[in-house]
Amino acid sequence: MTKGVLLFCFNTENTKYHTILEKCVHLIKKNLQLEITVVTNFETYDALKPLGFINYKFIDPELGNKKNGNDWRNVDRHRAYDLSPYDTTLVIDIDYFPFTDNLRPLLDTKYDFLISKEAHDITNRNTFDLRRFSLIEMVWATVFVFKKGPVAKRIFDMIKYVKEHYAYFNTLYRIRSKNFRNDYAFAIALQQLNGFINYDTIPMKLPTLPPDCKVTEFTDTGLVWQNQTSFGFTSNQDVHVLNKEIENV
Amino acid sequence: MNIGELKKQSDLSYDVAVAKRNELEKAHARQVVVYNEHIFKADPLTINHVKNLSELHSSPFMVLDSNNNPVQIDDPKDFLQVLVERNQESLNSYHQVFKTFAKKGD
Repeated sequence: MTKGVLLFCFNTENTKYHTILEKCVHLIKKNLQLEITVVTNFETYDALKPLGFINYKFIDPELGNKKNGNDWRNVDRHRAYDLSPYDTTLVIDIDYFPFTDNLRPLLDTKYDFLISKEAHDITNRNTFDLRRFSLIEMVWATVFVFKKGPVAKRIFDMIKYVKEHYAYFNTLYRIRSKNFRNDYAFAIALQQLNGFINYDTIPMKLPTLPPDCKVTEFTDTGLVWQNQTSFGFTSNQDVHVLNKEIENV
Repeated sequence: MNIGELKKQSDLSYDVAVAKRNELEKAHARQVVVYNEHIFKADPLTINHVKNLSELHSSPFMVLDSNNNPVQIDDPKDFLQVLVERNQESLNSYHQVFKTFAKKGD
């Protein structure tokens, strides 16, 4: 049984995602100690510094999605099943920094698909509780684990179907964001496929730093952040950083 | 104490409360363990449940994992040890940070 981490990374005009990837890869190697495969394009690959032993899969990212008016190359996540070379795969966003080995054991379960439903706002403002306008509970496609087999295959086929008809599902579920969001596509697919009832989840709130918090320092064990009114730090705790200015830290 | 100092104390209390909540979440995340290919939380509920079953019921016995799926436990002692170790590891880490909070309030 092979196990590894799958990452997606595509630079855009506004964000040098490759610098974020470099930080993430370093922490995966240090703390998760798993093989890594990066799905990217040649343009992004050329910008990367040497990262040691890493597998690369080159694709042309699907374009057209936007976030705050900027190009957002997040649409290819539904291809994770086909792109992963592993029997069991941990997919994480490159802006999720594993400062611990907490995610490592999740590759050793019997579950075919696991995803997190909850995030913890590390600024303690419960920012993410506001995402309840829609008729469906959002999941966080930031971190998920799947085991290749018929169950996971069905889930990814369903995610593809939801993606192809996203405008319809977006309206059906009264989702406020009109752009394509993996979080909702995964949530819809899982709900549809599981008979509109619960599905298996990771019992862990993803520690998340909201977009108004700028990271000012980044070390091997944690980071320092600040926003207009306060500042704080993390230590030996995974963090999902939503402010993309971390590319410059 | 003037109002400026009170305001400063209030800000400090808030910062400590935020940091404490974060440390607690960190401990909760650390308490997630995988045993027999199932996920459990090494929290007091699970620990006490397993401890009680190990004393009141012959092994193997059944417990529910974090997704409410049944798991057979063949070696309660081993399972309990995993749970207790992880629980104490996470709380010891919390305790170390908690001590620094207490100093800030002096």
